[in-house]
Amino acid sequence: MEAPAKTQPETIPPRQEPARAAVMPGPSARSLFHFVFREERFFLVLSVFIGIFAGLAVVCFRFAIEWSRIYLLGSGAPTTLRLLLAPSLTGLVIALLVIHVFPLARGSGVNQTKAALYIYNGFVPFRTAIGKFITAALAIGSGQSLGPEDPSLQIGAGLASALGRRLHLSRERMRLIAPVGAAAGLAAAFNAPISAVLFVIEEVIGRWSAGILGSVVLSAVSSVVVMRWFLGSESLFRIPPVGMVRPAELIAYSVLGLAGGLASVVFAGGITTLRPRLKALPRWTQYFQPAVAGLIIGLIGVLGAPQVMGAGYDVMDQAIHGQFTWQLLGILAGLKIIATILSFVSGTPGGMFAPTLFIGAMLGACVGGVEHIFFPHLAGSTGTYALVGMGVLFAGFLRAPMTSVFMVLEVSGNYSIILPVIVANTFAYVISRGLLPTPIFDVLTRQDGLELPSMEEQRDESVLRVEDAMQPVTVPVLDDDEPLAQVLRHLGESSSNNLLVRLSPSGWNAITREQVQTMVNEGKGELSLRSVLPMRQLPWLHPDQPLDIALRYVNESPVVPVVSRADLRKLEGVVSRDDVLNRYKSG
Amino acid sequence: MLAVLSFLAVAGISKVYFREQQFLGDRWFSRGVAALQNGQSDQAVNSFRSALRYSPNNYTYELSLAQALAALNRTDEAHAYLLNLWEREPENGTTNLELGRIYAAKGEMDLALRYYHNAIYAAWPDHPDAHRRVARLELIQFLLRENAVTQAQSELIALAANLPEDSPLHLRAADSFMEVQDYEHALAQYRDALRLDRRNASALAGAGRAAFELGRYDSAQRYLQEAVAGNPQDAQSTDLLQTATLVLQLDPFRRQVSAAERHRRVIEAFESAGKRLKACLVLSQPRSLSTSDNDVKLLQARWSDLRPRISDHGLRQNPDLVDTAMDSVFAIERQTNGSCAAPTATDQALLLISKLHGGN
Repeated sequence: MEAPAKTQPETIPPRQEPARAAVMPGPSARSLFHFVFREERFFLVLSVFIGIFAGLAVVCFRFAIEWSRIYLLGSGAPTTLRLLLAPSLTGLVIALLVIHVFPLARGSGVNQTKAALYIYNGFVPFRTAIGKFITAALAIGSGQSLGPEDPSLQIGAGLASALGRRLHLSRERMRLIAPVGAAAGLAAAFNAPISAVLFVIEEVIGRWSAGILGSVVLSAVSSVVVMRWFLGSESLFRIPPVGMVRPAELIAYSVLGLAGGLASVVFAGGITTLRPRLKALPRWTQYFQPAVAGLIIGLIGVLGAPQVMGAGYDVMDQAIHGQFTWQLLGILAGLKIIATILSFVSGTPGGMFAPTLFIGAMLGACVGGVEHIFFPHLAGSTGTYALVGMGVLFAGFLRAPMTSVFMVLEVSGNYSIILPVIVANTFAYVISRGLLPTPIFDVLTRQDGLELPSMEEQRDESVLRVEDAMQPVTVPVLDDDEPLAQVLRHLGESSSNNLLVRLSPSGWNAITREQVQTMVNEGKGELSLRSVLPMRQLPWLHPDQPLDIALRYVNESPVVPVVSRADLRKLEGVVSRDDVLNRYKSG
Repeated sequence: MLAVLSFLAVAGISKVYFREQQFLGDRWFSRGVAALQNGQSDQAVNSFRSALRYSPNNYTYELSLAQALAALNRTDEAHAYLLNLWEREPENGTTNLELGRIYAAKGEMDLALRYYHNAIYAAWPDHPDAHRRVARLELIQFLLRENAVTQAQSELIALAANLPEDSPLHLRAADSFMEVQDYEHALAQYRDALRLDRRNASALAGAGRAAFELGRYDSAQRYLQEAVAGNPQDAQSTDLLQTATLVLQLDPFRRQVSAAERHRRVIEAFESAGKRLKACLVLSQPRSLSTSDNDVKLLQARWSDLRPRISDHGLRQNPDLVDTAMDSVFAIERQTNGSCAAPTATDQALLLISKLHGGN
C-alpha cells in the first residue's frame, strides 16, 4: 500500500530556492563551473551518474533477492515446511520493519515517486530507498507474489533525490530528479531502457519535454549499461523465435486481448476492493497481514503451484518455451492473480510489474494453447502468445498503452510481432477502461487521500481550440491601400463600429468608425488607411490553436482575427473576449 | 570517486554471488546425474531444474533435464526443452537424437526421420562413430516398427558399411537384415560376426537361417550343425537342420551326386509325391470337386501315366525322364501345398528343392 496522505516525509523538503550548483567550494571555482556547466548541462551529466548509482543499486537488489530466496526457501525445490514458514515468518519481520522503521516503504513505489514529483519537490527520503531495498528483497525472496521492478524504480528515485539534495540543486531540478532516478531504476530492473523511459514519461511525468527527456534517457541508458556489465545483456527470460505468420492470426490475438482485458479488470478490481477493507481493520492486524498473505501463498505452493511464488521470471521463461499445458497455464494465471492481490493488499513492499507480466504470459500461452487445439490454423507459437499476453496485461492493468507495446518489442527484440501486440493491447486497454474507468495507480493514490494528476485523464482531456469559439466575420474587412473617404463609404453600409484592415504584405490591424470619421472631417479623406493606422498591429490566431492562447489577446482588441495557416491574409473568423468566455462557460 | 568505489564494491559482491551460483548449479546438477543413475528420474528432474535456475543458459543442464523428463515419459515437456536446445545448437547430436526418439515415440515418421538423420550427420564431441551408429540403429528399429522396410534396408546397408570389428554389432546388423529379408547381407554380417567370434551360437544359428533362406543348404547345414552342437536347446535351428539335411539327401540335381544315386532320389521323390497325391485325393473325396481338385486329378493322371517308366532302368534308358519326373514331383508338391493336409518333412524338402531348381 502506498504512503497514506497523512504520512509525511521524514524531513520537510526544501521549499526555498537553494544556491545553484553549491557543490563548488569557492566563488572563482563556482564561476568557472557555471561557465562550463550551466545547471541544465550539469543536470545531464548528473543524470549519467544517477544512472550509474541506480544501476549498481539494482544489481545489488537482484543479488539480495536471490540470496533471500536461497536462505529462506532453499537452493532447490522448497520443502513443505519452508513453503509455509518462509513467507509467513518473513511477513512478520517485514510488517515490523514497515510499521516501525520504514513506514514509506510500503507498496510498489510508483505512486510515491509521483508524489515526490508533484507534492514533495522531488524529495524521496534516502531511508525509504534503504527500507524498500531490504523489505522488498525479503518479501520477494520469501515467496510473496511481488516483483522487483517498482521497488527498483523507487530505489532509483530515492538515490537520485539524495544525490540532488547533496548537490543542492534548484527546486525545479529537484522536482525532476526523482523521475530521472526512477527511469534509471526501472530500466536496470527491466533491462529495457526504452520501456523505462516511456513508462516514466507516460505514467510519472505525463508530458514530453526536451529537457527532461534527455536526462531520463541518459540515466536509463547508463543504468542499463551498468546492470549489463554485471549481469549480462540477456533478457529476463529467454526469447524463442516469435512472429506472426498469417494475418488471420490477428483474430486469435484479438481474443487474447479480450481475455487479457477481463483478467486485468479482475486483478485491478480485486486490489482496489480489498485494499481499503484491509486498511480499515484495526491497526494491530497490520502486523499480521503480510504473514497471513504469505501463509496463504505458501499453501498455494504446497498444494502444487509453487510457481506463483516470487517474481516468477523462471516460470515465465518456461511458459514462453511451451513447457506447460494450457490447463496448467490457466490455473497459474488465476492463482497468480489471487496471490498478488493478497501480497499487495497486505501492505508487503514489492512491485506489480513482474506479477502483471507473469499473469499475462500465462494467460497468453493458455489462450494460445486453447486456440492451437481448436483452431490450429489460427494459432502461432506459444512463445509469441506469451509475449503478447505480457503486453496485454501491461496495457489492461497498468494502463500504459505505449509502454506495453514497446516493452514487448524491446524484450523480444522482434519487430515482427508489433501488429499482434498493438491489436491485442488495444482490445485489453479498451475493455479495461470501459469496465474500470480509473486506472489502478490513480485509485490507489486516491485511496491514500492523495490527489496526484492522473496521466490517463490528462491524456483524455479534450482541449478547447480557437475554432470552438470562433465566430463568422461580421465586421468589414478592407485592404490597407484604400483611401479613408472610400473606407467611410464602406462603413456606411455596415452597422459595425469596427473595421479590420488587411495589411500588405501580411498582418492585421483595426480602426474604429469614429477614428475614420474624425480623420475624414479633418480633410484627410484622400489618405490611405495604411498611413493613419496605429503602429502596433493586431495579434492573430489560427483555428487549431488552444483557446487558452486566445485569452492572452482578447483584451488587446475587441476582436482578434483568426487566419488561415496557409494564407495569413485569409480571414477564417474572429474571436472576442465574450466569445471565449461563453465557450468556456458552455463547457 | 564515490562512483568508482561503489563500482568496485559491487564488483566484489557480484564475484561472490556468481561463484555461489556456479557452485549451486554444479551441486544440483551432480545430484541430478546421481538420481538419474539410480533410476530416480523424478528427483533428477527437480535437481536439474534447480541447477538450471542458477545457470539458465547451461546447455548440458537443460539437455539433462530434457532427458530426465523423457525418461519419465513427460514427452511434451521434454520436447519443449529439446526444441529450445535445438534452436540454440541445431547441429548438436544428442539433442537431435532425443528429438528423433520423441517423434519416433509419437509415430511422426517425417520428423523422426529428420532428427534421426540430423543426429547421424551431427557433430558429436566424442566417439562420433559410435553415437552415429547408435542413432542409425535406433532409426532402423523405428523404421522396422513402422514397416518401412525399404528405408530400413538402405539404412542397414549404410550401417553395415561402417561397422567396426565388433561381433555383437555385426550380429545386430545381421539380425536387422534378417528382419528386412535381406538374407545375402545378413549372411555376410553373420560371417563377419563369426570371423570375430567363431563359437557365437547366435551368429551360427543366424548364418544357418540366412543360408537356408538363400537355398544354400550345404552351408546352412554346416552352420546349423555347429549351432545345435553349441546350443542343443535351439529348437528352430534343430528343425532347420533336419530340413536342410533332408533337402541335401533328396535333391537329385546336386553336382556331387552319382547317376545311380540321382536315379534313386528321383524314384524316391516320385514315390513320395504319389503318396502325397493319394492322401490329398482321399481327403477331398467327400467334398464336391473344386478347380484345385480337378488339378490334383490331372496331376494324378499324369503321375499314373509316368509311373511305369520311373525306374532305375527306365531312367538309365531315357535320361530326360529325370527332368520329366522331377517336374511332375515339383508340380504335385506345389499344387498340394496349402490345399491338402500338412506336408511331411519329405514333402517340405521337395517343395524347397522345387523352389531351388524350378523357381516359385
